[in-house]
Amino acid sequence: MSAFKELTKGIYDQNPVFKQALGLCPTLAVSNSVENGLGMGLAATFVLVCSNVIISLIRKLVPAKIRIPVYIVVIASFVTIVDYSMNGLFHELHKSLGLFIPLIVVNCIILGRAEAFAGKNNIFLSLLDGIGMGLGFTLALVLLGTIREILGNGSFLGIPVIGASFKPVLIMILPPGAFLSIGFVMGFFNWIENRKSN
Amino acid sequence: MKDVLKIGGILLAITVIAAAALSGVYSVTKPLIEDAKQKEQDAALTVALAGADTSGIYKVENEEYVYYEGFTERERQNLIGYAFITSKYGYSSDIVTMVGVDTAGTIIGIKVLSQQETPGLGTRIAEKAYGETKTWVQKQFEGKTAMGCAVDKDGGSIISITGATISSRAVTNSVVDGYKKFNEFITKK
Repeated sequence: MSAFKELTKGIYDQNPVFKQALGLCPTLAVSNSVENGLGMGLAATFVLVCSNVIISLIRKLVPAKIRIPVYIVVIASFVTIVDYSMNGLFHELHKSLGLFIPLIVVNCIILGRAEAFAGKNNIFLSLLDGIGMGLGFTLALVLLGTIREILGNGSFLGIPVIGASFKPVLIMILPPGAFLSIGFVMGFFNWIENRKSN
Repeated sequence: MKDVLKIGGILLAITVIAAAALSGVYSVTKPLIEDAKQKEQDAALTVALAGADTSGIYKVENEEYVYYEGFTERERQNLIGYAFITSKYGYSSDIVTMVGVDTAGTIIGIKVLSQQETPGLGTRIAEKAYGETKTWVQKQFEGKTAMGCAVDKDGGSIISITGATISSRAVTNSVVDGYKKFNEFITKK
């Protein structure tokens, strides 16, 4: 596979949320507005890129038996770095995302990519894989955030887009709305795939 | 057995490196975080005690209670009011607010210091609605008598946020409780 393919596969072909169904917990939790989705997506992308690079770098030093604990230590360290730096530098953003940052540790996209890709490939390809998967995750969160924020709050990035006569469907920004929208979007992508293969 | 030692050694080495990196980051970001928190509290005080001189706000503390006094002049002249911090558990977190009241108990200003309520619902207590210049708490509480605050569902005049009655009620009740506590302290003094 070409390097370019490694970069772009995460965006659609192997989108972590819609195609691999990974990382659904944070997806459900933070996709209730575009801003939250974007913040979480970028934070997770940073951790994913860093952990992919480091894990690829040390892949030959780490015995197979202890690879999982090593991956977790690397990932948890980067999450903590993000947590501290964001708290110090972007205090406002940290206040709204603070609760979700520790969740990145258990985001299975990151451990999944470490195990499935970075542990077997060179640094350059792992970097591209991390960027691509991170972007795919961010796009998925923004897409779901857009759907949920428009239907549930009548706004996009906090700016009202539907007239005042529209009564927001509150359930869309509550947890059930996350399941509903993710189900419909995933169904839609599967429908496209089915049509392609028929 | 040899294998165990080797694997354990590698794991130890990696965790030591990770710990060293983390302590480095921690020592760099700690002052930044404290600075940001201090700035946040200062900003909250200027909102809660709007009208006071920025250098005319004094912290008053003793073992049991902390509050702030705001003056229009630097040298403790023209007391305009007091500010205190109060908190109550909302829907999913403690909602901490800084409340400023004048000497008659009317709310001058209010700011949410921290909360982790449901994003998009409870968090709206601390947010500005689109096109508004004031946050929900400012809009609802400023100019009201602290003692008499109650949400509309409890027969009061604070208009609660649709879908976030619990958060709205928690803020309202914490303002009332916080004021009672403050008043008790100040009259005792």
